[in-house]
Amino acid sequence: MKKSPQQKKLEDMLQPSKFSAEGFMGTDTRSVWEIIDADATELEKHGKTCAEVAERMQELTDIGKPALEEWVEVGAKLKVKVEDHRGAIPCPWPHHVRCVKRITTVVYKPTGRTIRWSDLNIHLIKEHGFFEGRGAAFRLEPRELIETIF
Amino acid sequence: MILAVIIVSGIGAFLATVLVFAERVITNYGDVEIDINKGSKKFTVRGGGSLLETLTQQKIFVPSACGGRGTCAYCKVKVLEGGGALLPTEEPYMDKKERADNVRLACQVKVRNDIKIEIPEELFAIKEFTCTCEKIIDLTYDIKQYNLKLVEPQTIKYTPGQYIQLLSPPYEKSSEEVYRAYSISSDPADNTGIELIVRRVPDGIATTYLFDYLKEGQTVRINGPYGTFYLRDTNVPIVFIAGGSGIAPIKCMLHHMKNTKNTRQAVFFFGVRTTKDLFLIEEMKQFEKELHDFTFVPVVSQPEEDSGWTGVTGRVTDVAVEFLKKQGDVSNREGYLCGSPGMIDSAVKVLADLGIPEERHYYDKFA
Repeated sequence: MKKSPQQKKLEDMLQPSKFSAEGFMGTDTRSVWEIIDADATELEKHGKTCAEVAERMQELTDIGKPALEEWVEVGAKLKVKVEDHRGAIPCPWPHHVRCVKRITTVVYKPTGRTIRWSDLNIHLIKEHGFFEGRGAAFRLEPRELIETIF
Repeated sequence: MILAVIIVSGIGAFLATVLVFAERVITNYGDVEIDINKGSKKFTVRGGGSLLETLTQQKIFVPSACGGRGTCAYCKVKVLEGGGALLPTEEPYMDKKERADNVRLACQVKVRNDIKIEIPEELFAIKEFTCTCEKIIDLTYDIKQYNLKLVEPQTIKYTPGQYIQLLSPPYEKSSEEVYRAYSISSDPADNTGIELIVRRVPDGIATTYLFDYLKEGQTVRINGPYGTFYLRDTNVPIVFIAGGSGIAPIKCMLHHMKNTKNTRQAVFFFGVRTTKDLFLIEEMKQFEKELHDFTFVPVVSQPEEDSGWTGVTGRVTDVAVEFLKKQGDVSNREGYLCGSPGMIDSAVKVLADLGIPEERHYYDKFA
């Protein structure tokens, strides 16, 4: 099927660019829509929606933000640290959304499993259902993410 | 068979000729005039390029981070005449007022005919510099200092507190040129070089280049200076608050205060998380000796148990509020803040709570 200009632009924006050295697709050979579909199926298996996952991620980021890069205990099992870096990164989808370079690190204390996400990850999951391609620097595996943050 | 090859080759050659002809004739816009700020600057250029690249060729540097892809929306300029209609690629980036004011993305506007534009006057002062990376110093595990010697032009004029954009060239992990902004931390008395203090961004294109690929002796390109974060010319006591690499523009301002024998009272709260994140402490102590009335307060929020840290512990903004409250009425002061958006937001609230009005809060937010 022929791709629309918008689809072509999106695919171009997901590749390595001036904003992301490795791009958002990583080494994944699937199309962006295949990745979104597969991750949506994975979420469904765990009884969660993109909105719920993004909301919990945002909640943890918001808990960590006022601590200005200190670790914050969240309940008995999680600790969170939020770091801000200079600059902003635009969403690769064609709309005017720009996220500050803020990185949230969450440690699940019983196992030591550590997951990190950027503010852009939260937006990509919430608005586009996109967890990024495998091999991308900020790819989030839905199962691991859900098991860690809920 | 041979005839078929000849015919196919002939058709190919004919089409190529048509394409070359079309490019030269049909898309030839000829010479066009660009008028900037109602005649303040005018030049004639060959039409056909984007407004952004045409201005760059004329050494007028409109900030841009995406290299003309129409995604960063930094290159907004007013196009008063000759820019054509707003394109669908620009629409998402313009609010109602900007549309009414004829604001456009310079990277999306094609220069096809005479064009009149309006840009901030300060952009005329921005230059491109070729430098040599003279020295790289590890300040902490994730912060480095870069001393760049200017080669061409050989001197730079900037206001302490401003920043430059550094070009990260294509390298193993990034196939494109990108510009990133860094505050100048040097002593402005030396106008033949600049010093930058940079913190590594995980998987960041420019900081990976600076940390892992740039070596002493190599060439670096920058342009600038930019920004409105600078010391106001008053006699009001100063409150500086910075976190991590946010110390850079404040250090530059302190050099300037020393050079100009500025006697203003100033206190600098410098926040880091652990003692491993502390740096430039000796330099700051030296400023305490050399400046008329300057106090430096390094603050560590989570000192390691075995660090032996005996200094101030806590969140930098909490410490600032506690310290300043003891000084009585501090509402006449000016606040200069540099650091992460989170730290700035928190510091702005602190200054407001202390009665320092918003118009005397000056900050360089890392966004």
